[in-house]
Amino acid sequence: MQTQVMFYLLNDEISKDKNTAETEQDTRSAIYHACLQASHFYRQNQRVYIYTQDKQHAEQVDEMLWAFDSDSFVPHNLVGEGPKSGAMVEIGYQPPQSRRPVLINLTSTVPNFANQYQFIVDFVPSDETLKQQARERFKACRQWGFSVDNQPAIEVET
Amino acid sequence: MTEITTGTLSANIANQSATKSVNEVSHAFSESGALAKAIQGFSPRQAQTDMALDVAHAIENESSLIVEAGTGTGKTFAYLIPAFLSLNPKVPKKIVVSTGTKNLQEQLFHKDIPLIKKALASNAQVALLKGRANYLCNYRLAQYQDSRGQLDAQMLQDLVKVKTWANGTQSGDIGELVNVSEDSPIFPFVTSTLDNCLARDCPNYESCHLVRARQKASDADIIVVNHHLFFADMALKDTGFGELIPKAQVMIFDEAHQIGDIASEYFGEAFSSKQLVDLCTDVLQVHRSSLTDVKQLGLAAEKLQKTCQEFRLLFNYDPERGNWREKHKQPQFQQKFANLKTDLDFLYQVIKLCISRNEAIDNCFDRAVNLLAQYEVMTNVESFGMSFWYETTPRSVTLHQTPLTVSDKFNTVVKESGAGWIFTSATLAVDNSFDHFSKHLGLQGARQLMLDSPFDYQTQSQLVVPRYLPQANDKNRALKLAELAEPLIKASKGACFMLFTSYRVMNQVAEILASSIDNPLLVQGQMAKRKLLEQFIEADNAVLLATASFWEGIDVRGDKLTCVIIDKLPFASPDDPLLQARCEDARRQGGEPFSQIQLPQAVIALKQGVGRLIRDVKDRGVMVICDDRLVNKPYGQTFLKSLPDMKRSRDIAKAAEFLESLTE
Repeated sequence: MQTQVMFYLLNDEISKDKNTAETEQDTRSAIYHACLQASHFYRQNQRVYIYTQDKQHAEQVDEMLWAFDSDSFVPHNLVGEGPKSGAMVEIGYQPPQSRRPVLINLTSTVPNFANQYQFIVDFVPSDETLKQQARERFKACRQWGFSVDNQPAIEVET
Repeated sequence: MTEITTGTLSANIANQSATKSVNEVSHAFSESGALAKAIQGFSPRQAQTDMALDVAHAIENESSLIVEAGTGTGKTFAYLIPAFLSLNPKVPKKIVVSTGTKNLQEQLFHKDIPLIKKALASNAQVALLKGRANYLCNYRLAQYQDSRGQLDAQMLQDLVKVKTWANGTQSGDIGELVNVSEDSPIFPFVTSTLDNCLARDCPNYESCHLVRARQKASDADIIVVNHHLFFADMALKDTGFGELIPKAQVMIFDEAHQIGDIASEYFGEAFSSKQLVDLCTDVLQVHRSSLTDVKQLGLAAEKLQKTCQEFRLLFNYDPERGNWREKHKQPQFQQKFANLKTDLDFLYQVIKLCISRNEAIDNCFDRAVNLLAQYEVMTNVESFGMSFWYETTPRSVTLHQTPLTVSDKFNTVVKESGAGWIFTSATLAVDNSFDHFSKHLGLQGARQLMLDSPFDYQTQSQLVVPRYLPQANDKNRALKLAELAEPLIKASKGACFMLFTSYRVMNQVAEILASSIDNPLLVQGQMAKRKLLEQFIEADNAVLLATASFWEGIDVRGDKLTCVIIDKLPFASPDDPLLQARCEDARRQGGEPFSQIQLPQAVIALKQGVGRLIRDVKDRGVMVICDDRLVNKPYGQTFLKSLPDMKRSRDIAKAAEFLESLTE
């Protein structure tokens, strides 16, 4: 089955806060939208792997997901804790241990295990360097033969 | 504020022609009302007034009401004021207020009620009624003085204090005896039990403190009782009583989350080897003091005593609970249990020959008859709809037969009472629903009201589930728990509880912490519970390690307690025989035991815990739950939606920062 990839364009508007670096804002925004997506897929009863850059990044995702509004609660775990086969949503910076249909990619490249997934969620940040990396990922996905599309990420107040 | 029924109550009330009492209630809580005048700094709060109006409504219409009032809503006044205002000298009314513990009873009676009486200029008669074991028994005190053997120094001292106090006391409430320790072994000898009370045959009946207290209660407008007393009365478990409910027009239950289990207990039966041994002791006393000629009395009683001990020895050394049905199937248990019957029967036959020789032996005869009947209950282990379980203490075994559901019985009592029933607590709802509570007690038709706490939990508190916790059965779990506790204890400068589901892990953690931190460590089992708590409050920087059940009913205010670390979600032990029976029953009815029984029970327990950490608008604190099922299981949502909205984090370092900011 062909893997479907959806790139969400992160809103430039939120980068107005001058005190925080743009890349930092992008990271936060991507994490936030990753959590929203995880919540969405969990409610469709789909198991999700959220792939992050490093340990600290994984813990940031974990922290935000745990603090999410209780109506959008997402049972999740970090790789290295929780049940053996993982919770409905698993977060890690390591290659996945179990097969899941959905990958949410928060890293700068397309991981080499990407073709295991039926559905991949990725993000296009507003910072130029990061945006360029996203373009590369977009291209890479095409080369993998995935069906790739993009749409704006919708800002939701939680 | 969330209201479950549609439409606000004020609207409802307007429709039903605003009555005098409702107007009075609104006025009492208003800016210029009685409360504002009597209490400095009182400001009207919508949630409190809403609850008071609903209570007034339930009293007036003799209907039922379930209210969850979050900590800090002021629910005590919200039910007491309408209760007092509903009193009318022309139409005598009786109101029963029942609460969880003796301490809470006393707080109501000595603190809250006097304040309200003053505010409302009420001259209502209020009575405090406790259980039988709280009242001095003059007859038993006299008996004890006559027949006691050698006493150790402490017992002798206590006896002298009791005697001195007994001469002067009006109420006979042993709570007045502040200089005798609560757990003094003297008390069983100077108070009565249902078994050994001679009731109307008692030579001291005229001066009986219990009878007087009951008389007072029966004459009062408002009676303050506790749940155990209430349900003992309701299930007619204390004879010559059963007088509270028929006479009352209003029943108010505070701490109502407890009454489901208490009701089950009282609608059930129990048979304890302690009752048998007590009977033997009393028979021996009669034999030695008056019926010295009947040698068989002594022999029969000693034989039964010995068999009781043997029966206890069949069970494990450590106190435990278990399934009596299963034990009853095993030959060795069956054999000893049958021996109990043989020996009890023999004792009964011997006592029978002594009937009418004096009151004491007649009382023993009645008890033997009752015990034989209860014995039969415990042999019919095949009865349906019942759980048969046992509970052991170091010296005794108690067998229980508990009905799996009390909803029919309780519902009948409520319906037939023609009274208004009000159930309130800070912890009744699970996932914003009262189903769990109302189904258990058959209260599906009751009006429901949910009032949020006025506290700002987001800034006052944190709920932390640490990352990378070891599995529940990991052998390094104790070490890991101690490691993550250390920075928190340092940050909070003590003022910390650690609660465990197992004694083993508790002791392991205690051992590790003893060498790694300087704070005084208080560990359950070192001394009596009350002593431990006193020391915890005195010490300022102490850490208390205890099992989870320790927490029930504990009240530590302010910065004395800022950090609570719990090793596991408070699910009841799956080995609990009553729980097993209820789950089995739910399964048979096509239900789901986990979501219907185990989960709601754990949610309520955890809610209680949070309520103890944050008791005031100024309280701050961190709750650390070392159980990642809260994060990775779908039912975590049920917990989160039921708990106050605390700031959630998984970061121990952040929690430590927060704690540090409190002690600066």
